[in-house]
Amino acid sequence: MQAQSEKLNLGEIGVLLRGETESIAAWAERWNAQRFAFHVGVILLGAGLYGAAMGWWRDPQQAAYVAIKFPLIILLTTLGNALLNGMLAPLLGLNLPFRQSFSAILMSFAIASAILGAFSPLLAFVVWNAPPISQAALQGATYNFIKLTNVAVIAFAGTTGNVRLFQLLARLGGNLAVARRVLFAWLVGNLFLGSQLSWILRPFIGSPNLPVEFFRVTALHGNFYENIFQSLQQIFNH
Amino acid sequence: MNEPNSLASQIPPIIPSAPGQPGDDPLERAPIPNAVVAIEAILRHPRRVMFQLRQPNAGKLIAAMLFVSIVCSLIYGVVVGTFSGGTQLWAAPVKIAGGLVISALICLPSLYIFTCLSGSQARLVEVCGLLAGLLMLTTILLIGFAPVAWVFSQSTESLAWMGTLHLIFWFIATVFGLRFLETGFSHSNARSHVGFHTWAIIFLLVMLQMTTALRPILGTSDTFLPTQKQFFGTHWADCLKAQDGAQQPGTGR
Repeated sequence: MQAQSEKLNLGEIGVLLRGETESIAAWAERWNAQRFAFHVGVILLGAGLYGAAMGWWRDPQQAAYVAIKFPLIILLTTLGNALLNGMLAPLLGLNLPFRQSFSAILMSFAIASAILGAFSPLLAFVVWNAPPISQAALQGATYNFIKLTNVAVIAFAGTTGNVRLFQLLARLGGNLAVARRVLFAWLVGNLFLGSQLSWILRPFIGSPNLPVEFFRVTALHGNFYENIFQSLQQIFNH
Repeated sequence: MNEPNSLASQIPPIIPSAPGQPGDDPLERAPIPNAVVAIEAILRHPRRVMFQLRQPNAGKLIAAMLFVSIVCSLIYGVVVGTFSGGTQLWAAPVKIAGGLVISALICLPSLYIFTCLSGSQARLVEVCGLLAGLLMLTTILLIGFAPVAWVFSQSTESLAWMGTLHLIFWFIATVFGLRFLETGFSHSNARSHVGFHTWAIIFLLVMLQMTTALRPILGTSDTFLPTQKQFFGTHWADCLKAQDGAQQPGTGR
């Protein structure tokens, strides 16, 4: 009977998106390898499709690369911070087992990826209608429009995933202040690692003046924060 | 002895409540066996369509509504094609029907996402059905506008004027279609309509861009599809510039 009630179906993505915390909390409490695989599958498919649409503007090969890199960043961020996030939750007042905190974060990324996947046909349509990247790069407006579209969609997906994660943490901990603290700590850690992973795995949209490649030759030269610091230095020394 | 009557006189009359869920009224549960009944139902009793979309065998109704949408858009496309004639008589209907279906397919995943995020309990089949209803209502209304559009297309040579007229007709028809979709959306326990309104803007923008992506629909060209990629704002500005001063208003045809 237990096995019957634990059967997975595609409708579960609707439960995640609606933020039905009762069901989601129950999922987080009981480890289920099939459900774990389902959430990883949603991340691979959703973020992969969005990545493909993003890279397609430069070249179909770039689309294939970004379809791999985009879900990879999400999964590596989740794995890389799993231990830290699992330790931070009890330290900040939410006594979650390691697996539960890992499941909760994975589910929030699955929500964000499902949203990204749903927007991938729209982004593909925008890219299909855009002039070629070489010409557009010179004009500027199209390049900026596509960049801003990507920022808006990714920000929306990320925010929604975190809102649902916050609702889940509040349900699990029964305390809004604790949920806020834990979410903030997790966000800081994930943003810190995620930004650097994105820096290493660049390019995403690609540049018309540079070759299509999985990694830049300079992938491991410097880091995201050094680059930001250098940009700020240039602004203030100008 | 008089007490019950006096009490009754003090109780305010029952005010009929606002319509609840589709199917509360027995009339709304009447089956929709074919496309003709579906057309009548969506115009007169849209809640009947909404109720049927929640039933297990909704697939047949969805297919019927899509069929009507394609047929109606092909007919309206022929009217659009009469402006230029020639190859546009078949190219315009194909592009309009194809563009409508492709736009719906592009926007369907995001509609489902926004529906879920709003807390709605609608299943994917119901969302597909509501979208098919939007397309059917929009294209039926376009058929209603078709005679007016045809009369104008025979009496003017101005591409800009005809383009604007078709856009106005399309916009009015789509607003009614969106209103049907929103009513269906509100009956599925959605907590907020913000997501729906955002999606409606996305849908309108996709359809507007589709008119540019599949150009020429109204005018003529050597190729079936454009060779140069453009966004609709730029394309329309170019059209208006090209038209400006090149044609005397009111010339016969």
